Amino acid sequence: MAFSLTSLSKSLSSLLPSQHSLPNLPQNPPNFAPPVSQSDPKSTSIRLSSCLTTPAEETNAITCPSFAYANTLFFKSGHYNVQVVVADNEPEDKLLGRFRRAVFKAGVIQECKRRMFFESSQEKKKRKVREASKRNRRRRPKPKDSAQSKEETSKKDDDEEDGDNWELPEGDLPY
Amino acid sequence: IPKGVIHAQASFNNTIVTVTDVWGQVISWSSGPLFAAQIAAGNAIRVVVDQGRQRAEVMIKCPGLGRDATLRTIRRSSILLSFIRDVALMPHNGCRPHKKRCM
Repeated sequence: MAFSLTSLSKSLSSLLPSQHSLPNLPQNPPNFAPPVSQSDPKSTSIRLSSCLTTPAEETNAITCPSFAYANTLFFKSGHYNVQVVVADNEPEDKLLGRFRRAVFKAGVIQECKRRMFFESSQEKKKRKVREASKRNRRRRPKPKDSAQSKEETSKKDDDEEDGDNWELPEGDLPY
Repeated sequence: IPKGVIHAQASFNNTIVTVTDVWGQVISWSSGPLFAAQIAAGNAIRVVVDQGRQRAEVMIKCPGLGRDATLRTIRRSSILLSFIRDVALMPHNGCRPHKKRCM
């Protein structure tokens, strides 16, 4: 169940990142049976917390977390960066790998490290240039090929020049 | 209490594991230095497993070395995980942080 949800969410996020399906939030029936307790305010919060586990809301949670939980009042930590839904039978290593990959994709650790110390405007520029070059390298392999072709043409030119008899022949002139 | 939340703050020098209920009221906590994250997590969870915790959500904060270790110990104990969330605090460019360390 969790795998299908995550695949769903990935497809959703790739296709329509800006879709905020807010109207879907409150009406879905809860997946897990709510616990047995108790007094009224607690029960409402329990219902809300169990509501968060329905499939549509899980996909919401993954695609646009801040919007998915914008309406919930009782949700404890209202803001998070990454969420991984766990199936019961999932092996440990796989789960860890999935979590790590999700965190890497979200860029959480990079961001944290960047914000630990102050970054001057120069350093900011350098970082931006580095990131841009990384991104461009991934997207455009062509510039590499053009550079290679340039090198090849320059080599060819050298050969031609050697072939051409530009230089004067050795030896003194007759006069 | 069958349901609850496990918070793990994994900084570079320390890992603090706090076990709370769904509403955030702390039940137990423990902490340990770098490589003792597993031990810290184990201590915190043992208390709760005795009380009858079945499901838990995990909230992990801070980039640090204790993240994986706490996850592993939680997995190996008898608690079922429902979510794993990363709750690192990100300012929207707020306070100015410390100057860079000159190393």
